[in-house]
Amino acid sequence: MKPTPVLELAAVAIQRADEEELLLENIHWRVEPGDWWVIAGGHGSGKSMLLQSLAGLIPLAQGTLSVFGESYSATERRPTGWRQRVGLVFESGGRLLRELTVAENIALPVGYHRNCSPAAALETVLPLIQALDLERLADAPAGRIGRAWAQRVALARALALGPELLLLDNPLTGMDQNHLRWWRQFLPQLRAGHPVLGGRGLTLIVTTDNLRSWLGAERQFAVVHHRQLRPVGFQNQLEAAASEYSDWLQPD
Amino acid sequence: MPNPFRGFQRLTEVIGLRVLSFLDTTRRLGAFTLIIVGVIFTKFGASRQVIRPLILSQVVGSGVRLLPIVGFIGVALGFVIIGQTLRLLSQVGQSQLMGSLFVTVLFRELAPLTAALVVLARVGTPTVVELGTSRALGEVEALEALGIDPIQYLVVPRVLGITLSVFSLAVYLLLFALASGWLFTVVANLPVTGEDYWGQIARALRWEDFPLLGLKTLAFGAAGSLISCYQGLARPLRLEEVPEAATRTVAHSVIAFLCLDAVFLVINLLLPA
Repeated sequence: MKPTPVLELAAVAIQRADEEELLLENIHWRVEPGDWWVIAGGHGSGKSMLLQSLAGLIPLAQGTLSVFGESYSATERRPTGWRQRVGLVFESGGRLLRELTVAENIALPVGYHRNCSPAAALETVLPLIQALDLERLADAPAGRIGRAWAQRVALARALALGPELLLLDNPLTGMDQNHLRWWRQFLPQLRAGHPVLGGRGLTLIVTTDNLRSWLGAERQFAVVHHRQLRPVGFQNQLEAAASEYSDWLQPD
Repeated sequence: MPNPFRGFQRLTEVIGLRVLSFLDTTRRLGAFTLIIVGVIFTKFGASRQVIRPLILSQVVGSGVRLLPIVGFIGVALGFVIIGQTLRLLSQVGQSQLMGSLFVTVLFRELAPLTAALVVLARVGTPTVVELGTSRALGEVEALEALGIDPIQYLVVPRVLGITLSVFSLAVYLLLFALASGWLFTVVANLPVTGEDYWGQIARALRWEDFPLLGLKTLAFGAAGSLISCYQGLARPLRLEEVPEAATRTVAHSVIAFLCLDAVFLVINLLLPA
């Protein structure tokens, strides 16, 4: 029996709240458990909106979205039951709550959803803080740490509830080599099943401006262009059609 | 040929637009209030380990921290209104009116309004800035992405905390005013005994004054906090729009306080003397 897809989009369209024109339309896409998709697109192409829509933050303009087998259409109220099974890391510093410390940011979803005290929530997320090398910053106010570290804290916060699907919006933007190296090592571990998540593998969807930074055999690629999401396939298929996708295969 | 009524047309246009804008804001504020009330009831007790400390922290920020300044205002009002008036009334042999004066001016009017204005100035404006900045920086979406209800996390603690604070501060302000008024009579050696002073105030108070004081201060607190949260959170803001929203909050809150004051004045007039 085929496993239930993590995501299934049928004729989905997305638009900005203040605009009449569709940003993306007619998206047909299926994401299976354990997939790692990398989506490229230009600035303002709608890839961030697509991720936010998948996370349930933006209503669909048209079509049907199924998340973990639970479907809803553009005319229905967005369900929230699967919110805790989907982690979203926003770009450019991850939108941390500036008033809280790094550790409090990470512990917040645990305390809120499991109704436990701040101390108990902090204890729960301690292994995550250690696994992401954030102990040194744990007590620092989130508003005062650098953007690359903030992005890592946002990853920890998104992982705090043990999601099954992780959405990362342009996570490598503006990072130095040390941070880039860390992310390139850590994300494959997450997908394969990191001990901090009990060894359970994750499904990953990443957006980027440049697919070359994300080349890898086990990853699938897609491109957002002319209001369409075009799934390309694995690396060999991408390389076979490299001239067609040269805009998103710039040298690193 | 120039239109002689052009100026009048322009004036009616401006007034009409203002009225429509006022009605639209009132409608949105009403909807926002209903959402908050809905969240308070439907999520009552949910995530209490996270929400309760936020409410307490808000009570500390908007209540306990303002106690010194409210105490100072209470003492000043006690000296100025009770003490000075009592001296004047004693000179003309009408010191028996002091109790009625205290209840009418301080208990029913000045204490609730002063407490609400102090909280608005010290907490309402920063609330708009905090929430407006959170919204502008996308923190509200971040909360939603984590499955955290932004109304429950950001608004409910502020509304409950500020509302409770206005009530408590008004009560403290009255106590400080009463004590300083009594102190003035002693220091100034006025011909009023303690029994007269406290007895007159007790006789001037009706039992309805106590629930009405509670209702009025709670209404002021709720109005100020709802308007602050609405201006900060309910509409998408850019960072440069945040200061303007803070200014708007003060104006709208003062208008709301005066409207509520008028409602309570009518209620007081309708009650038997």
